[in-house]
Amino acid sequence: MKKIDRKDFLKIGGGAIVGGLSGYVFSGAPFLGMQWLIEWTQDQYVPAGGKEEYLKTICEACREKCEMSIRMIGDRAVKIETSNSGCPFSQNALQLLYHPERIDAPLKRVGRKGTVKFSAFEKVSWDEALGAVSKNMNKLIGEKRGHLIAGISKHDNLASALLDRLVKACGSTAAYYEPSLNSLSQAALGGSVEYDFNNADCILSFGARLLEGWGVPCSMNKAFIEWKKKGTRLIQADAVRTRTASLADQWLPIKPGTELILAMGIANRLSKRGRAAGGAEWMAVVEKYAPDKVAALTGLSVKQIEEVAETFSRARNPVAVAGRGGKGVSSSSAEFLAVHALNTMAGSQAAVLKKGQWLGEPVLSANAAASIKESKKLAGLDDFIKNGNFEIIIINEADPVYKSAYGAELAEKMDRAFVVSITPLLNDTAMYADYMFPSLTFLENDTSAGRAPLKPYLKSAHAGDCLISLAQKVDGVKASFPWASYVDLIKTSGASVGAGGVNYNARVLIDQLALIEKNLKPSDEFPLSMIPVELTFVGDGDGMAFPYALKTIDQKTFSQGKLCVEINRKTAGQHGVSEGERIDIASSWGEIGSVRTHLTDTVAPDTIAIPLGFGHMAYTKYAKNKGVNPKGIMAHDIDPLTGTANWWHTRVKIS
Amino acid sequence: MGELIKRAIDTIKAEFNSYSTGVKIALGVMFFLTAGFVIFGIQILFWGLGYTDMSNLYPFGQWIIGDLGLVSLGGGAFTTGFALYIFRNDKLEPIINSTVLIGFLCYLFTFIFLVFDIGQPLRAWFGYTYPNWGEHLMPTSMLTEVIWCLTLYFMILCVEIVPVALKHKVLDAIPALHYVGHYLHRIMWILAAAGTFLSFFHQGSLGGGMWDIMYGKAVWFRAHHIYFFVVIIGATAGGTAFMTLCAYLAGKVMKKEVVPAETFHSIAKISGILFVAFFIARLVDVVLMATRWVPLFDRSYISLQGGLYGLWLLVLEFLLLAVVIVMLLPKKNREQEKRFLIGIIAGVAAITTDKLITVLNGSSVPNFPWRDYIWYWPTIQEWFIMLGGLSVMAMIYMWCAKYLPLFPHAEKHAHHEGKSQAVAE
Amino acid sequence: MAIDLDLCTGCGDCALACAQENNMPVFEDDSDLPKRVQFLDLMKVSNDRDAAYPDVEVCYIPKMCQQCEGNDPKNPKPPCVSVCPVVATDVGDDGIVSQIWSRCIGCRYCQASCPYEARAFNWWKPRYEGDFKKSLNPDVSVASRGTVVKCQFCSHIWKRERDRAVAGGELDINAVTYTPACVAACPTRAMVFGDLDDPGSELSRLLSREKKRTFRLIHTIDEMKEKDEKKWKAMMQAKNYPNPKVYYLTSKAWIKEMMKFK
Repeated sequence: MKKIDRKDFLKIGGGAIVGGLSGYVFSGAPFLGMQWLIEWTQDQYVPAGGKEEYLKTICEACREKCEMSIRMIGDRAVKIETSNSGCPFSQNALQLLYHPERIDAPLKRVGRKGTVKFSAFEKVSWDEALGAVSKNMNKLIGEKRGHLIAGISKHDNLASALLDRLVKACGSTAAYYEPSLNSLSQAALGGSVEYDFNNADCILSFGARLLEGWGVPCSMNKAFIEWKKKGTRLIQADAVRTRTASLADQWLPIKPGTELILAMGIANRLSKRGRAAGGAEWMAVVEKYAPDKVAALTGLSVKQIEEVAETFSRARNPVAVAGRGGKGVSSSSAEFLAVHALNTMAGSQAAVLKKGQWLGEPVLSANAAASIKESKKLAGLDDFIKNGNFEIIIINEADPVYKSAYGAELAEKMDRAFVVSITPLLNDTAMYADYMFPSLTFLENDTSAGRAPLKPYLKSAHAGDCLISLAQKVDGVKASFPWASYVDLIKTSGASVGAGGVNYNARVLIDQLALIEKNLKPSDEFPLSMIPVELTFVGDGDGMAFPYALKTIDQKTFSQGKLCVEINRKTAGQHGVSEGERIDIASSWGEIGSVRTHLTDTVAPDTIAIPLGFGHMAYTKYAKNKGVNPKGIMAHDIDPLTGTANWWHTRVKIS
Repeated sequence: MGELIKRAIDTIKAEFNSYSTGVKIALGVMFFLTAGFVIFGIQILFWGLGYTDMSNLYPFGQWIIGDLGLVSLGGGAFTTGFALYIFRNDKLEPIINSTVLIGFLCYLFTFIFLVFDIGQPLRAWFGYTYPNWGEHLMPTSMLTEVIWCLTLYFMILCVEIVPVALKHKVLDAIPALHYVGHYLHRIMWILAAAGTFLSFFHQGSLGGGMWDIMYGKAVWFRAHHIYFFVVIIGATAGGTAFMTLCAYLAGKVMKKEVVPAETFHSIAKISGILFVAFFIARLVDVVLMATRWVPLFDRSYISLQGGLYGLWLLVLEFLLLAVVIVMLLPKKNREQEKRFLIGIIAGVAAITTDKLITVLNGSSVPNFPWRDYIWYWPTIQEWFIMLGGLSVMAMIYMWCAKYLPLFPHAEKHAHHEGKSQAVAE
Repeated sequence: MAIDLDLCTGCGDCALACAQENNMPVFEDDSDLPKRVQFLDLMKVSNDRDAAYPDVEVCYIPKMCQQCEGNDPKNPKPPCVSVCPVVATDVGDDGIVSQIWSRCIGCRYCQASCPYEARAFNWWKPRYEGDFKKSLNPDVSVASRGTVVKCQFCSHIWKRERDRAVAGGELDINAVTYTPACVAACPTRAMVFGDLDDPGSELSRLLSREKKRTFRLIHTIDEMKEKDEKKWKAMMQAKNYPNPKVYYLTSKAWIKEMMKFK
């Protein structure tokens, strides 16, 4: 055998290396390695698999009671499919359910008030949190100062009724609702209007953007299909060519804020046909609004007004709709009254006043009975913020700091008070909370039909359960809360009944008309009108926490941190403003800066349309610090009946 | 280790101090840009393209302009090679090494910019493993064609540059390498021919074909068989001007005659003639666009020339082209140094403007009638990577000019006249 | 697909359902319109270019991938498919323009070539923070940063339906129909989805019934066919047209007018 010398060794070694390398290359291993490297550097996430099933349930978020099916993969809900999904509520539900910033346990404030950081809070147990809250409440009740306990609710539902009852049982009348279509019409008319849109044949909408989140969106979408089938006529009065105005059969391009005057004009025409409503004093005011006067004030022609009155009175089952706006509604009480009077005059069967029958009166303890005499009942939430007084306040899902024109004042008062907030997400109001209770999405709610489709998220509980267990710990209140749980309560609650007659307050009408006419007068200081518009899903701000909803925002409204207001082209030319320019808007209530302009003729002359829903201080990182919130500079005049600021129409100037 | 770093720093210091003040300042700026290139390069590669001003509405930006410009101007390498080795225009011999190096650098940085530009740099090799060849091995995607042609031509440039590198005095002393260099030089005409063949394809594909096959876009679509060649002519014209400009600047910096004047005049003449051809071709292209192709979209050509990068760029391109022709074509103009310089600078600028129009105007045109022109302004990351890349190119070129026989003429010259001017300034 | 704009209220449910079904990436700021990723874009269109107050109108046009096929239906060539250097995108037998996200190198050539802005690029790394991950659909792979993604008419649902049909004993899987997420979510039934090749499908019947109301997004060549068929033929030979397979219906003249560049 030949001895292996150095040369051979090198040859063999080299050969082995070359062979090994080529084998490695041709095996494809380097490419697999590359693929692995790609995956590693990209950190690609692979959603976990699992057994697929569809949970059938009923959405009880509104009276439509949509059937829905939830696609489950293992224990994860991945998609919500409904038979009628015209409701952003259901489509956004999964994003709320699995929101990365959802509060997953009761929180206690340890840091300064008014901060959004989660480090300002510390997680506590339910017992500890409820104990601390009830201790504070008991102290006030013991001192017969229960009237300084207040509650603010968002939805008109059973949980809110529980809060009303709790506040009252403590000896206070300060239970208020965030202004909404329901709460405003209840305050103005004494009941909420149930519209039968499916069977109406002529719909006259006074700025109610029926297809843009107004009322119950799924009912409205269902009604829309019916209108198209039956040829129902939709007449829309609005100062902006909104989606609803575009889909309407007729658009009445009125001057901003003149819906009430238009209603008076039509009532005037109807009265000429011998129709009447509201009593003599009311009709006397109507008589003053002849078509030529109304035409001059609203910017419509006399012919248009007469034609609309004609169409309306000739219709078999016409219905006039009040409540300007989409998700955020602002109409004066006089407007609700005047529009309802139109329905009465035309003999409409499609608008019925209903009143919710919730829980009845609680039993008052001696202390509560003593303090309730001290309690001053104010007309509504804004009235309460401005003139009311509280030491403890419980906020049920609402966000008045963001949504109210008096948000800043409320924040200031809450800074000094003990605040409890029931909410799934840390919103602008919860920034001032001392304790926060995490509530549930409707997917986790138990329904009257049975158990909830999904288990509650971590340590969350329904607002109703939260309030019932709080009531158990408050002195002298327990007797009024006999239910073991919220489900227990659902089974016993009643349905709504017809409301009594409407009190047509002519005094209020005269005052409101005078205010509008004053606002319409050309003013050198504030030459422009500002009215709100809303975006799909963003609404008046609730949608901003959801990234998928943010994806629907259009470029000409909000993009790359710039909020655009819409200005009529000619008006912009008169004020020397060009497309995309940065402007400040000022009213007599304040000033907002750094909005951009978008020139479009979809807006009436001398008008600025500003989108609602932007400019949150908190409400998750998706909503925070995006755009500006115009509520602070919107009109602050408080309506005597609804106790709410009528912020719809504001005189402003731009610079 | 510390010793080594110290020595390296000393070498760089000595190198830096050997230049005049003006060049020192330029070097300082280039170092600054290079530092930015490295920092922002890491940011872009690791955290994505979100830091650029490109968007879903404006998917191609500054780096694509850089790619187009570099390949187009680097096209001077194949044109010069072709003229020298195939047409035997021996006057070009003194400049060929420089052109090969510039071509090499241009293509190298095209690849580098492309790596930054694609969202998945680690998947860049998919272009080779999953190429979009259509039927009969005709590339369906112009980008597939570009990737392959660019790679092959880049390999050729690598081989072409080897003899130049081997001439370095350290390497040249090794006999084996000396012979390799020598024989490689002898077969250079084969490489030049192959390079020209390949270059023709990718010049046309990257500058022209890539855009004109996008039949959904009014601003880009036109007849492939015309625009393809328009762009090739542009690359040959602009490329020769760019090669001349680089050699000229090198001479100015080094303060000696790197290339004889007759070489400059010869290449300027070629460039001038090619620019006339390009002027005509581009004019035909614009006229055809306006009369034939854009109307097929129910739009008008002039309506595509709005926005930030509109008509003025088109006018500027034609003005620059006119300047080149006036300055380079008449013999008395191009033989006067100042006019010659204006001519070649205008030439480079004209081709750059052409690429700006393709990308900037092309991407900013609205796709829907209710949309506006899009504004694109590159972010600091894009600027630094672009300019930093160009700085690195310039510095490599400077280093090569000093230490490699980039300009044989200058070296011969220095050798004959003794040592007085040999120390490169 | 056909979308009846007379029935569309612009409620945007299609966009939300699409995002939920297709695991849309969540970026730091999804209101950053030029860089956000979405398959279905709600475009607000108004005719204020041509009209002044109060004659203006607005509508919302839901726009997804238009699934172009080019001039030759037998050899479909959408503008985006031929340009891809790595065959990451292709047209299937079902006529759907597909995209393999893990193949894409992110050159964005397809995006540049798309006249409908239907494709989106992941400029940032998708962030499904915390429990957001729980709502991800396992049927749709999560795209990584630096790739182009697009609407594929929820073809994964078709696969799901076919698998289900096969499990149920169905043999002809091509007869299985499905509904994309956007169509299923439409509360006013404005969107109709079906087989264009099958003359008996609801979609085909709707389109042949409603010829007068039909148009396609900025595809003005259709109008030429009605006006001058000869010229139309000549134009079709001169140039390849995208020929989208998404049809829009409207009775409003201004919407069709806004499809033209002026």
